[in-house]
Amino acid sequence: MPEPPATDEETRPLGQRLFDNVFLLLIVGIVVMAVIYTGWGLFEVTTLPPATLP
Amino acid sequence: MSAADFRTCPVTSLKIDPRGELLVKANAVVAVVSLLIGAIAAVLLVLTRWQAVHLLPAEWFYRILGVHGMSMLIFFIIFFEMAVLIFASTALLNARMVTPKLGWTAFALMLGGAVMVEVIMWAGKADVLFTSYVPLKADPLYYLGIILFAVGALLVCGLFFANLVVAKREQTYSGSLPLVVYGAVTAAIIAVITLLHGAAIYIPTFLWSLGLMEVDPQIYRLIWWGLGHSSQQINVAAMVAIWYMLGALTIGAVVLNEKISRSAFVLYILFISMASAHHLLVDPGMGSAWKIVNTSYFMYMAVLASMIHGFTVPAGMELGQRLRGIGTGLFGWLKQAPWGDPGFSSLVFSVVVFGFVGGITGVTIGTEQINIIVHNTLRVPGHFHATVVSGTAMAFMGATYYLIPLVFQRKVAFWGLAKIQPYLFAGGMFIFVMSMTFAGTFGVPRRHWDISFSQAPFDVAFNPAVDVLLAFVALGGLIAATGAFIFVAIAVKSVFFGEPIGTLVPGVAVRGLPQGITSPPRHAPDVDRRNEELHAPGQGWLGPAPGTMVLVFIFLAAFIVYFFVNWKVLSFVWKIG
Repeated sequence: MPEPPATDEETRPLGQRLFDNVFLLLIVGIVVMAVIYTGWGLFEVTTLPPATLP
Repeated sequence: MSAADFRTCPVTSLKIDPRGELLVKANAVVAVVSLLIGAIAAVLLVLTRWQAVHLLPAEWFYRILGVHGMSMLIFFIIFFEMAVLIFASTALLNARMVTPKLGWTAFALMLGGAVMVEVIMWAGKADVLFTSYVPLKADPLYYLGIILFAVGALLVCGLFFANLVVAKREQTYSGSLPLVVYGAVTAAIIAVITLLHGAAIYIPTFLWSLGLMEVDPQIYRLIWWGLGHSSQQINVAAMVAIWYMLGALTIGAVVLNEKISRSAFVLYILFISMASAHHLLVDPGMGSAWKIVNTSYFMYMAVLASMIHGFTVPAGMELGQRLRGIGTGLFGWLKQAPWGDPGFSSLVFSVVVFGFVGGITGVTIGTEQINIIVHNTLRVPGHFHATVVSGTAMAFMGATYYLIPLVFQRKVAFWGLAKIQPYLFAGGMFIFVMSMTFAGTFGVPRRHWDISFSQAPFDVAFNPAVDVLLAFVALGGLIAATGAFIFVAIAVKSVFFGEPIGTLVPGVAVRGLPQGITSPPRHAPDVDRRNEELHAPGQGWLGPAPGTMVLVFIFLAAFIVYFFVNWKVLSFVWKIG
């Protein structure tokens, strides 16, 4: 019995499939910014000890 | 929607959904109106910073500075980007606009918000500059206007993704998204990141302006810059997408390597937004590790992406020309390029000034140590006028010269002026940017009404050269503003009163139509053989695009020299031992 033809999903390399996944890129883009810039920055600001007055 | 409802573009053969096209037109028109307001404000500002003229009183200077920032950096740019997103997700994919009504709702929100902000600013109820740093307080309607605008823009981003999903489901394209659309995807993702930060800070600030809650100034700065700087990174992604589009349309540029270009766009998605930290480099609340990681665009990955695009775009242009046998020697391909096509000249000026001036200065002054001799001087606006104005706005203008015939189906009015407009705008901006940068090197502060400190109890003596440099800032600004006004006149006349393009005969030049439309660059039938010859080992170590390789080495040399000169200058003020 002949094998069914490979679908577009199967023939595309993994890297291309990842790059083509727009919503994955959207989520990863938001998470990277939220963790490295926003989350880390908020942690730095909110854990800052109060300055002591002279 | 049936196939009969689509219009077929006579130049590109793309199927165009008229409902999406109408939204593109509406957003583009409002973008141009915003540009006009911003340009008028720019003239008033440069005539004030020119000490010999000093046009506006202090109160109006700061008010107009806010108007200029919002009109240019937010309204002009983002309305145009919304047009790009709708155009890319419909016309470039032969796809339909999914929910036009929602598109018009989003447009109405954006327009309503923008009008509200403009009215409040001109009325003097929001003299808080572009950044509106807390505790500077504006009228609550100012913040509400920005929130409405941001919600509208976020809706358009959602529509963009919805259009992509439907286009894929209805198989209007096969395989991966075209590269230009991929650039638009990048812009849309960065826009979502940006607008989420905008919502996270403007909603509390709106409530604070009503007296309902407190906002911490340092947290405001942190989150606000997630909006303020990232919004300019949407520009970068949209601009690069336009570079690829204009390269293909004007000169038949080829894509050197899809993987490389797409990887560079993904690097933007991952790392470019965190450059927001550049604005917090002197804030004592943030640690060095946070500053260095973020301002390095996570160890310069996004800078690498820009340098990739900065190479692949001109190299693609060079290879495209060589494949058609145009030009000999290192730069014959460039010499024989269509310099009278305003789309092409805009593209070249955008790439060159963005890379050589905006890119090099941005990476250098974003270095934590060097930033201390740059912070809050005119070098900062010198940098971002090279990126946002000479880069993005120039690219958007170039795209407009093609959108007028392709989308509005009109000839470009005042064709003679259109051909010189990019030269005028780019030339003026170059004088403006370089003068501003050098004035900043002498320590001239940015956002400052009067550097002579005429009413202050102290005096700051600047080098006398500063007066000359500020005069050149004004001169360059006035030339560039003239270019902007000409662009607005061309756009308005073409769109509302322009002559229809009529029937096109391939190869026959028509006044008012760029060469890329009347004579689209086509490959010769033996393109594969030519390609093999260009890639043969005997071509030499510079490869198939030797001219671009030489330009790359010049760029890297300029980058190295500028970077180390700044370290040397830093050593003068920061003596050790």
